[in-house]
Amino acid sequence: MKHLKAINNKALKLDEAAAENRIEEVVAMSSVAGCASTTDPGWEIDAFGGVSSLCQPMEADLYGCSDPCWWPAQVPDMMSTYPDWNKDAQASNDNWRNLGTVFPKDK
Amino acid sequence: MKRKLRSGLSASLLAVAACVALHSPYSLAARDAQTILKETCQGCHTPEADNALSRISHQRKTPEGWLMSIARMQIMHGLQISDDDRRTLVKYLADTQGLAPSETDGVRYALERRLNTVEKFDDQTSQMCGRCHSGARVALQRRPAQEWERLVNFHLGQWPSLEYQALSRDRDWFDLARKEMVPLLAKRYPLDNPAWKKWLSAAPKAESFVGDWSFSGHLPGKGELAGVMSVGAAGDDTFKVSVKGQYADGTPFNGDGSAILYTGYEWRGNVTIDGVTMRQVFAAQGSAMQGRMFEAEHDERGLDFVAAKQGSSRLLAVQPGYLKAGAETEVTLIGSGLTGKPNFGKGVEVVEVLEQSPERMRVKLKAATNAQPGLRNVTVGTLKGPTLSVYSEIAEVKVVPEFSVARIGEGGGSTPKVQGRFDAEAWGKGADGKPYRIGVFPAQWSVEAFDDRAKEDEDVKFAGTMQADSGVFTPGDAGPNPQRKMSTNNAGNLKVIAAVDDAGKSLTGEGHMIVTVQRWNNPPIP
Repeated sequence: MKHLKAINNKALKLDEAAAENRIEEVVAMSSVAGCASTTDPGWEIDAFGGVSSLCQPMEADLYGCSDPCWWPAQVPDMMSTYPDWNKDAQASNDNWRNLGTVFPKDK
Repeated sequence: MKRKLRSGLSASLLAVAACVALHSPYSLAARDAQTILKETCQGCHTPEADNALSRISHQRKTPEGWLMSIARMQIMHGLQISDDDRRTLVKYLADTQGLAPSETDGVRYALERRLNTVEKFDDQTSQMCGRCHSGARVALQRRPAQEWERLVNFHLGQWPSLEYQALSRDRDWFDLARKEMVPLLAKRYPLDNPAWKKWLSAAPKAESFVGDWSFSGHLPGKGELAGVMSVGAAGDDTFKVSVKGQYADGTPFNGDGSAILYTGYEWRGNVTIDGVTMRQVFAAQGSAMQGRMFEAEHDERGLDFVAAKQGSSRLLAVQPGYLKAGAETEVTLIGSGLTGKPNFGKGVEVVEVLEQSPERMRVKLKAATNAQPGLRNVTVGTLKGPTLSVYSEIAEVKVVPEFSVARIGEGGGSTPKVQGRFDAEAWGKGADGKPYRIGVFPAQWSVEAFDDRAKEDEDVKFAGTMQADSGVFTPGDAGPNPQRKMSTNNAGNLKVIAAVDDAGKSLTGEGHMIVTVQRWNNPPIP
């Protein structure tokens, strides 16, 4: 971190958490079965173990997650696996209701 | 660049799909597993010596694991397969290349959909595998080193940005994955394991599970239940199942359905209770079954389930499992082959046996005013197992689960809401000063902001509603909420508070619940 300087509030908070040795605590809390524990910024939980530093509303930038396979275990990745996931929802902020779940269940 | 990459990948996917289509005469007629492997899977998987197929023959998995592998072939490689054929394959592969019961020990929570389990793996596994999906998904597979390495390669090929994510961009991820993780996994989860060979020769026949089973269970937010599950043979390791039971408050728990046995012990059932399909994920061994039964569409609504086959001798549970010093109460013993006198230990007197059958015994108890607080072993004749807690006062209240994740949903979208469901556990202090669990008590439930940020963002107002008397939290609707700052989602960071009344004194316990966004990728193993 010594070459990086925090320039916004989120980054300052992260610096503070690291300085107070709270990072370990956060990792332990977020290793819940099936939740992502990469907190950049996090899908379920942010680096502080809360939700206020997540990228939300996630619909505003959802394809910024699904396009580059960010959180592929939670969000269908559109780069490789589900290229047509958003065919009925070109604007995620308006059409998110048209996005379906992807596991092929028995019919 | 991204677009280019995508179109390139799509073209190769198309080629694979075309290859699969060419080699897979898709037929609606029922085919046996060998035929499906030959006619469909061999389109891509190469035959090897000893009737083996590349990749497939070098892995062992749970039924859910095989289902996910086949689903992945459907999604990623254009495999066309009917539901019937897929079921046939899962059954065959789980039976012939499954996991021994001991190989699923400690990670059954993933199969049982206990999604609030905080996983405890070594740092390397948590960072390498558990940062995207459960560590259990890995621990429920067996492969030789070469197959683990191919799994690493597949991950990087399919999700190339994984090297840029937190917990990998700060290290040489690929080298660590290949050179450290692969040998570790091959050693910890090897394909060849004596336990599997032993199980293959010892696994019981499905017929041995036919009969009546006495069961006991507990559903958070509702309470304890007990009853009888009747199992009838339906051929090919399948069963007809009917359940007749009731909750402690008298609510009936009746329904019918079917079940299938994989690998000689992996019991999977679908039973409709009151119009709602509930899935059974049990480990069935000998005269015992244990696991979880949960709603198919809401797996957070589920009960711990334990059963003993009638004709065997086993004491399963005492309901309720606690008694206050100086008080008189009725308890029910659940089990099979209950004969002889019940005994509840020092300071607890059996006033009267009100009802007795081999499966059920209703007993009136009285605890002496000076009965020492602590656990008593409960016995019926020579049977033992459960404990009865005797207490004089509650020392502490714990919210279970202590940490949990609920998810917003619905609101016109395709994903259901994932509720939070809680129990208030009372704990006492024993004569030795050590804490002991008394049991689940009724409580008054509420939520509060977890921290200042949550307060500022009004998470309590938006994230959902806690039902005061049951401890059931229903999250808010999915989607951006224009009423919130920046139209943020109805997510929230909340304290879950349970207030338990102990003879006029109110004690509170506190848990932590994250109400977060939905997931669209939701396979059977998280």
